[in-house]
Amino acid sequence: MAQYDLIIIGAGPAGMTAAIYGARADMNVLMLDKLAPGGQIINTNEIQNYTGVGTVNGAELAYQMFEHTQQFDTITFDYATVKEVVDKGGEKLVRCEEDDKEFTASSVILATGTRPRCLHVTGEDKFRGNGISWCAICDGAQYRDKDVVVIGGGNSAVEESIFLAGIVKSLTIVTMFDLTADPIACDKLRAMDKVSIYPYQDILEFVGDTRLEGVRFRSTKTGEEKTVSCDGVFEYIGLTPTTECFKELGVLNQMGYVEVNDRMATKVPGIFGAGDCVTKNLRQVITACADGAIAAQEASHYVKNL
Amino acid sequence: MLKEVNSTEFKELVDKGLVLADFFSTTCGPCKMLSFVLKDVEKEFGDDLTILKVDFDQNKELTAEYNVAGYPTLILLKDGAEVKRLQGLQQKPVIVKLVKENI
Repeated sequence: MAQYDLIIIGAGPAGMTAAIYGARADMNVLMLDKLAPGGQIINTNEIQNYTGVGTVNGAELAYQMFEHTQQFDTITFDYATVKEVVDKGGEKLVRCEEDDKEFTASSVILATGTRPRCLHVTGEDKFRGNGISWCAICDGAQYRDKDVVVIGGGNSAVEESIFLAGIVKSLTIVTMFDLTADPIACDKLRAMDKVSIYPYQDILEFVGDTRLEGVRFRSTKTGEEKTVSCDGVFEYIGLTPTTECFKELGVLNQMGYVEVNDRMATKVPGIFGAGDCVTKNLRQVITACADGAIAAQEASHYVKNL
Repeated sequence: MLKEVNSTEFKELVDKGLVLADFFSTTCGPCKMLSFVLKDVEKEFGDDLTILKVDFDQNKELTAEYNVAGYPTLILLKDGAEVKRLQGLQQKPVIVKLVKENI
C-alpha cells in the first residue's frame, strides 16, 4: 500500500493550493478527486475577484492551478471516490470505492467542497436533467430564444442569469428573498431587457406532463400564487457540503461542514480541513486557496513532530 | 486515439470498432475538464478505443442527428451503434468500466 506524508481529498482550489504548499514543505503528497481537478469553479464562466488575474474562465483557472501542481515531482494525482477516512493515530487510512483502493498517510486534508442544493419540490425529480439544470454554461445553449426561469438570488444565480439573458427569449428570476449578490452584478441584471424578477417567493411545483411547462410559486408576503411558463429552469439555491464520507471521524457540525480552528485543524490530530467544506462565512476561490495554504503548512508541522 | 473531428471525419470513423464520441463546447468548463479526463482514458486503451471530439457549436447537423441537447455529452458506439450515453462531466473510473464492458 502506498504511503504518503499528506493525502488531500478533493482537487479544487483549496486542495491544489494545499498540494503546492505541501510539496514545498518537502512532503510526499497524494491528491485525490472523484472527477477532475477544479471543483466548483469549472462551472463558473467568469471569475472576476481572484487577485491579479482580472477576469478568468473557471475551467482555465483550474487547468492553470493543476499545471502548477504538476511542477512538483512529489505531488501525485489520482482519480478516486473516498468512502472513508480512518484515524489510526500517527497513520490515517483512506479507503476508496474503486476496487477497494486504499492509501495511508501521516496527515490528511479534507477539501471535498460542496455541491448544489436541490429544492425537493414536486416535479424536480421528474424533470432533473430534462428541463431542470444546475449548470447554465453546460445547458444554456439549448434554451436559445426560449423562456427560462432561474431560481435563486445569490452570486451564482445572478452571474449565471446575466449569462443566460444574452441567450434566451425571456428570463424570470424567482428568489426566496431579494437579490443578495454583489450590488454591481444585481444592478447589471436589473437593467437587462427581457428580465423579470420575483423576490420573496416559495417554489411550490415544477409543472408539466411529459416536458417541463412552468414553475408555480407563492409570495411569502401576500400569499398570492403565480405560474410562469418556461422551457427550462436553472436552480442556484445554495450549496451543501460533500462530506458524508467523513462522518465517522466526528469532525462535522450539524450542517455537515468540517469544523476547524484558525489553523485549519480539526479536533482529530493530523486531520485538517480546507475550502468550501469547512465552517466559515465567505466561500470564494481566494479564501479556499488561503485555507489550503494554512492547512498544508500545519500538516507539515504535524508530520515533522510525529 | 483521441482526435477532434468535423462531421465528415466523424462519419468516416464512427463505424469502425469502439468509438467514444465527446460532444463538447469551447465555452463549457465541465467540457474542458472532461477533455482532461479523456486524455487519461486514452492512455489506458490506446488503439482499442477511438475518442472523437465534436465541437457542438461547429457541427450543428451532427449534434441534431445524434439528438445531443446539452454538453458535454459522451456517446459510446460499437460499430456505429449507440451503446450508452452519459451527460455531464464523468468520473474516469466510470468511463473506463463502461469501455471495458464493451471492448
